[in-house]
Amino acid sequence: MTQAVSMDGVRKTFGRKVAVEGIDLTIPEGSVYGFIGPNGAGKTTTIRMIMSILFPDHGDLSVLGKKSAVESKDRIGYLPEERGIYKKMKVGSFLKHIGRLKGLDSRGLNSTVMEWLDRVELAEVHKKKCEELSKGMQQKVQFIASVLHDPDLIILDEPFSGLDPINMRLLRNLINDEHAKGKTVIFSTHVMHQAEQLCDHIVMIHQGKKVLDDTLEDIRTRFDPRAIHVDPIGGMEKADEIAQLSGVSHVSPVEGALEVVLHEGIEPQIAMKSLLEAHPMNRIEIKRPTLEDVFIEIVTGGKRGEDAAQLRADLLAGTKNEEEEVAS
Amino acid sequence: MKITKVLRVAAREFASTAITKGFIIGALVLPAVMAAVIPVVMVLAMRAQPPADTGTIYILDHSAEVTTVLDERLDPEAVKERWIQRFDRSIKSAKKLMPQVGGAAVENSREQVESIIKSPVFRIIPAGTDTDLEELKEELRNQVASKATLDDEQHRLLAIIEIDADATLKVNEDEGYGAYQAFFRPKLNEETVGEIKDGVRWSIRQKRYENADLDRTMIAEINSIQARDSKEITEEGERNEASAIASFAIPFVAMILLLMASMTGGQYLLTTTVEEKSNRVVEVLLSAVSPLELMTGKIIGQMGVGLSLLTIYNSVGIIALIVFKRGDLVTPLTFLYLFIFFILAYFMFASLMAAIGSAVNDLREAQSLMTPVMLMMIMPYIFFMPVIRAPNSLFSTITSFIPPVSPFIMIMRVSSTDPPPFWQVGLAIILNMIAVLLFLWFAAKVFRVGLLMFGKPPNLRTLIKWVRMA
Repeated sequence: MTQAVSMDGVRKTFGRKVAVEGIDLTIPEGSVYGFIGPNGAGKTTTIRMIMSILFPDHGDLSVLGKKSAVESKDRIGYLPEERGIYKKMKVGSFLKHIGRLKGLDSRGLNSTVMEWLDRVELAEVHKKKCEELSKGMQQKVQFIASVLHDPDLIILDEPFSGLDPINMRLLRNLINDEHAKGKTVIFSTHVMHQAEQLCDHIVMIHQGKKVLDDTLEDIRTRFDPRAIHVDPIGGMEKADEIAQLSGVSHVSPVEGALEVVLHEGIEPQIAMKSLLEAHPMNRIEIKRPTLEDVFIEIVTGGKRGEDAAQLRADLLAGTKNEEEEVAS
Repeated sequence: MKITKVLRVAAREFASTAITKGFIIGALVLPAVMAAVIPVVMVLAMRAQPPADTGTIYILDHSAEVTTVLDERLDPEAVKERWIQRFDRSIKSAKKLMPQVGGAAVENSREQVESIIKSPVFRIIPAGTDTDLEELKEELRNQVASKATLDDEQHRLLAIIEIDADATLKVNEDEGYGAYQAFFRPKLNEETVGEIKDGVRWSIRQKRYENADLDRTMIAEINSIQARDSKEITEEGERNEASAIASFAIPFVAMILLLMASMTGGQYLLTTTVEEKSNRVVEVLLSAVSPLELMTGKIIGQMGVGLSLLTIYNSVGIIALIVFKRGDLVTPLTFLYLFIFFILAYFMFASLMAAIGSAVNDLREAQSLMTPVMLMMIMPYIFFMPVIRAPNSLFSTITSFIPPVSPFIMIMRVSSTDPPPFWQVGLAIILNMIAVLLFLWFAAKVFRVGLLMFGKPPNLRTLIKWVRMA
């Protein structure tokens, strides 16, 4: 399979600050890649380098088979993190302007723009000035600006920030449509569950370094916590009893349930069965690793304790901010 | 660099600046309205002369011979006749300057002129030589203070004139003539006061001539010297001496036009760049075009704006010159140079503006970086006088070679009555072209780095660092 993007030892510094430190990466055509990591991890810098808006200090980079995106700009769609729009321009003219800059022919451009506006349920606004639109509407217009020219590679920097749940779903469907057409999609987010919903491949960036690069499935297998969450009838006092069962390494309370961690080599399916036999349960489920867990695991090197708790708190705070943004 | 993309950016830049209500009103409607209004105002000003002053002048004539002369001189009919003649003379000189206007528009009949002219009406009342001047002054003071309107305007006291006994005849040969003194009611028309003073002086002089047994007409003839011809002999032949308009106004107007057109384009460029940056639209644009394409497109687009302005004002100027039949004042070459030097000056301005616009976050921050631009703008004003007085002095020649003031100095020199040799103009164009390339190179570097830099606005040193970085 040909590569949509490949990076080899790419490094970028701003003054003394190292933004990206030696990233190697290959993104095959037709895949959906999620760049995740907390704010300031280096996601936007990496994306800007792929876009040839910034240039790496060291390392090699190729995009769609070319040495840089400059040579294939018209085949790339880009939604920057900082949303930009000509406030005084009419929505239709703005999109047509961007379309023509992207090398689209003037003929048929109008109907293409109208089709897209229709798809994002904004058909009636094309004569309105951009500044008259709500923030969410503007964001949808900007998304159109990035995919209008039917690019082979779509790069979306934090595409979901500022959208309400309905529009989030709309955008997710649009991205899935593009994926289904065989387009390569790269997007970044600091809200990890968004990546879980969309990506087949995750790249995790932390302090300018790539710390994880794998398919979602492999990540789940690799970071299988080998744990079962149970909510036994009779309450939490049963924890000690459960801990005595064979195959159980230890038991700890988590948010209204008990986390039962299993010994090496014990199949979770079989353990569930024996747990159910030992105690009647309100609820029992295999614990699935979230990307947050994986991220914390990687960053803290598997250690538990204060560092991990702090990091988790930071990550949750990030998520919460995001939710507040949506609410406002 | 893809030309189609550059042109696309340029087209939007031009359209978003020039095809707006504000621009069209500013560039077209305003000058048109002014051109229409100024003649109307001039006519109104001519018609709406202040009401003529009517009233009495007391004369305290110690010489006892001026009063009769003054009485004749300030006779209402005589005054009116002089005012009409003066009006005719000013029309004649206007005709000489602008034949078209003089020939058709201002051809008034004698009756019309008489109805327009409102000359003052004086009544001269001699006061007895034993009258106390202070008493007369007191009367005037009371009149002014009472503010009551007099039944008869003739009783309105306008002035008190006292003439010394020896004003017209020297008592002692070794000493000079005596003097006169005048006291006026406040807020009289300037022309009225002038008429009274002139009348007194004319009358005193008249008596002095008579007493000295001199013929006034003869002296006037002696004093009047006509020049039949006054021309400059040049290599090509004879030519009229440079008039004030040709040697002063034309270079000045050319320089102002150049400055205005290049500044306007540059200013808009700064605004749109800052706007795109603070809107964050710039990153969307950069995903479609390279920074160099973007900057080139924007500079070309605003050049279109400047060129439009220049063309509009030039057309107005040409029409005016044709109407006034003074086409001799400029040559087509002047206009060609105007366009050449506009492009050169504009590119230097625009480069600086693009660099500044890309480096800052809002227009307020741009002010701190504007010093070099301001200098560039003020220099032509500072150099204007010495250059126009001596367009080929060493100072003028040297400054006309130094970018970025060179285009402004050179346009004044080439449009003066004494244009420099062609090689100097050519050399200036070449030097400016080199400067333009340097300016553009600098701007391109700053532009590339600056566009995506947010936060603390840079100072000049940071800008230079960016140039090294890019």
